[in-house]
Amino acid sequence: MASAAASASAAPAPPNLKHEDGAPLGTRADELYDRCAERPKDTTFFQRDLSNMQVAESMGELLNMVQVLVDRHLLKPMTLDGESCWKLRSRSDAEKLRRLTADERNLYNHIDQMQKEGIWSKALRARTNVTQQVLTKCLKSLESKDLIKSVTSVKNPSRKMYLLKHLEASEDIAGGPWQSNGDFDTGLIQVAAELMVRYVGEQTLTSVPSSWNNYATTDRTAAIAQKKAEVQRLRDIEDAPPARLYRPPMHPGSSHKVYRNNAHYPTAASAAEFLNNLGVLKEKKVRESDMEQLLEMMVLDGRLEKANQTSYRSVLKATDTKVYNGFVDAPCGSCPVFDLCIDEGQISARTCAYFANWLGTESVEI
Amino acid sequence: MSYTQRETPILAQLCTFLVEDVYGELAARVFSVLARFGRQRLVDILRLSYLNRRQIGAGLVILVQQHLVARSSTDTSPTFYAIDWQHSYALVRCGRIAKLVEERFGSQAANVVSNLLTLGHTRISDLKDAYFPPDTDSDADLDDGIVNGVGTKRMRNGEPVNGVNGKVNGTAPGTLVNGDGHSNGVDSAHSNGTAKEHDGSIDSVKDLYKIVHKLMKEGWVIKLDEAQYLSAGDYHELARQLAIAEKCGGGEPTGTKQNAEIEEATLRHKRRIRDAWLEVPQTLGGEHKTNGSAYEHANKRVKINGDNDWSRGAFQDEEELVIRINPEKIAVAMRTEQLVNLVEQRLGPITARIYRIMLRSLETHIPRCFDEWADPSPAGKENSPIVEDDPQLCIYPEHIANLTTHLDICEGLDPQGICQITGRSLVKDKENPADKVLSQPVDPSKLSYHERKMVVEKHIELLTHDPFHFATWSGRGTFRIDFEEIAKALIQHELENTVEARKGPTGVKLIRALRKKGKLDERQTCNAMMMSANDIRDMVNDLTVQGFVQTQEIPKVDRREAKHSLHLVWYDCQRAREKLLHDTYKGMVRIMQRLAFERERVQSLLAKAERSDVVGNEDKYLTADELDMLKKWKEVQEKLLLQLFREDDLVATLRDFVGPMVSV
Repeated sequence: MASAAASASAAPAPPNLKHEDGAPLGTRADELYDRCAERPKDTTFFQRDLSNMQVAESMGELLNMVQVLVDRHLLKPMTLDGESCWKLRSRSDAEKLRRLTADERNLYNHIDQMQKEGIWSKALRARTNVTQQVLTKCLKSLESKDLIKSVTSVKNPSRKMYLLKHLEASEDIAGGPWQSNGDFDTGLIQVAAELMVRYVGEQTLTSVPSSWNNYATTDRTAAIAQKKAEVQRLRDIEDAPPARLYRPPMHPGSSHKVYRNNAHYPTAASAAEFLNNLGVLKEKKVRESDMEQLLEMMVLDGRLEKANQTSYRSVLKATDTKVYNGFVDAPCGSCPVFDLCIDEGQISARTCAYFANWLGTESVEI
Repeated sequence: MSYTQRETPILAQLCTFLVEDVYGELAARVFSVLARFGRQRLVDILRLSYLNRRQIGAGLVILVQQHLVARSSTDTSPTFYAIDWQHSYALVRCGRIAKLVEERFGSQAANVVSNLLTLGHTRISDLKDAYFPPDTDSDADLDDGIVNGVGTKRMRNGEPVNGVNGKVNGTAPGTLVNGDGHSNGVDSAHSNGTAKEHDGSIDSVKDLYKIVHKLMKEGWVIKLDEAQYLSAGDYHELARQLAIAEKCGGGEPTGTKQNAEIEEATLRHKRRIRDAWLEVPQTLGGEHKTNGSAYEHANKRVKINGDNDWSRGAFQDEEELVIRINPEKIAVAMRTEQLVNLVEQRLGPITARIYRIMLRSLETHIPRCFDEWADPSPAGKENSPIVEDDPQLCIYPEHIANLTTHLDICEGLDPQGICQITGRSLVKDKENPADKVLSQPVDPSKLSYHERKMVVEKHIELLTHDPFHFATWSGRGTFRIDFEEIAKALIQHELENTVEARKGPTGVKLIRALRKKGKLDERQTCNAMMMSANDIRDMVNDLTVQGFVQTQEIPKVDRREAKHSLHLVWYDCQRAREKLLHDTYKGMVRIMQRLAFERERVQSLLAKAERSDVVGNEDKYLTADELDMLKKWKEVQEKLLLQLFREDDLVATLRDFVGPMVSV
């Protein structure tokens, strides 16, 4: 649609039009409608567009024809920068609109005005000045006629926002790509997060095979020399090179991950581009801010870590075993009755079942 | 009272257990009186306990000797006794101290330190006598203040401390500083030392002095000073009096400006007195010419059987010096170990070892983790230019590189980086085409000086890029370590660990979200965590109950209806830190209690196994069942004690590495 704010004018139909020109005006108006319908959907027509179609013979006749179409709800009147313009409605929509009551039509126009932003029912009432009962009744009937729909706002979950049926709610009220129906789409987030872990991992980590630097086995002469020296025992202890350099134990054939040398850490922008290009999120475009939200959440999750203010990197665990700390690894640290435990009594170190289990001994039976 | 001295009932309980475990029941009885009633005079202790004066005296001697009790020292008013919580708690670290020293300075130094720990503060000449016993047995002419509590204690560490069977001899508490550091019973320690498979024995007085000198230079051993006996309050008063004398010339301070000046001068005096303890006497080193004769003096001296009238050797002043372990240094070493462990978990063993070299190279110049009496930083600290780094605290990669010859420093890095440095390239492995290997292997021991430095710099780069910022670039190719920030991050890390173990990843996520964003209402929390409110609500409740997060209700309407109020959740690291510290103390108490209970269960067996005729001949005198039970008991004991030490690690992280934090 036109980028301008559309303002509807529910002009009361001048009653005497048909008396002057009769049926021909009606059929010529249909002709105008058909000509307009040939244009791409959602085109905005200005007066000169309509006159260029050369359906009407004079400007006055054109205005009359437009008025007829507006009355039949086939054209939706709008203004753009003070100039009148119109948009086409389908015949079925027009039919539905024609059957509305005045109140319903009034509400419909207000809802239409807000387009994707939607309008809160209370705001609607304030604008239209109808009673609550009328409002509720009309909104119900409009919904049943498939003209409008309601969505819950993400910002204010208690508010019901109304917008036209065929429109997608704007991100302000429906939330970003991660949300659906006002709630977080955990499945989608899960998938996206996993993709991100893989993407960032590829960018920041590299896999090193255990055999990448096999200096020890090839260096036979040195080994022989060392052995010789050992046998002769002539060396001063101070000068002797250490028999073997310390290196971490590695299984042959395995590989481990290390951070890349001079890695380019991904940012929200590059990650968003990656995800959009992948095209796994159908019909949804991930903006940079959406991606930042996801990545920040993953940092909180411990699945990524921040390399600096704007870029992210993978979390590397050099050791596989997870140790917490001395306190929680002991039974007391995660004991459900820790706060009730006292020196003597039913719950105490002497009677503790958790200690008994942990140590493989027995406690005093209570 | 200072932050680190803050007393809690649970800490009192823990310390009483520790004292009982190490120094026996008598000392623990006296200790518990002081723990329950606070600062007391001798007569009050007498009144409050069911002990007689002589018993209390004996108990106090041990406590004072080990610096577990502080005492006021004014001549006019009666002496007050109060517990020094820091030192009392430090009993749990005895074994660890010896271990830390051994890793750094070898087993001989560890041996000396163990003895110092056992004896409390000691005159150097007495230490010497202990190692090289004089001809006569000096036990015979000692007074009767012998306390046997120490005799049967169990040393709770992996490496038994020598001198366990020694008796701590003391005279009346009033004259302690002047010379009843005379301790004995280490003669058995000496023979123990030689019998051990690891060579911790010391062959000559020269070596002993060398070791003591080295330890003092490194700041592990310090001089004893009268002021060390003062409790925090008395010490403050002492420094304040000095400050007033300096600023007002004896008069009373007037006006806020002068008060502020005195505050500042008080802190300065506190630091000055404390720093004087660290000074090292010059002549103690091994370079002295009359070493041989000093040994002879030692023999002669005891024959004279007195303190002061023996022929003076060149060591005279130093031999009279009374030394003790520096408790603050222990925390520095523990911090090093913990940081290295963390790096090993995050970046791998080689980088961790290089980090260890870096940290240990700094340790000499770091007497303590944080200065309790630092000048308050000026208000606009952020705006002021960054202070020039102390060059002693800078790390030069080339120095570090020289110390890495025993490591395969190429490991743990991206091969691409190694290629750049050594001019190799990566090619497909012949045996396994999927792997890329170096075109020509690099032997780390044959790297040139320059290459080695570059490789080490790559490791340091890993350290700087880590979110913990284990190292920070500080210009001109040097690095420094911002210990304060790391220590804070370490506290947060432990808190997160605790929450994760108890509540799983969601709990950690919540804590992190709140820490990052501050106070949040429910919807904001959901947005930050990208989860629905239902999943979060229970977690908030649980963590609130456990004291990790706080909630707040702000009414929006006059009637303060809950429905209309804002409900905020927030996380205060400081509160969580204190809560966890308290819980950890409690956990340690439970372990000690359980240990006592387990011991009780096998009491009769232990009594038999500890009989002098059975020790060493267990197989001969104990039945198979008994041996089994004994083995089982040892396992249980080891498990519990290991856990106790790990909890101590946590306490160190939470309490000793960084001063009080101001947060939220």
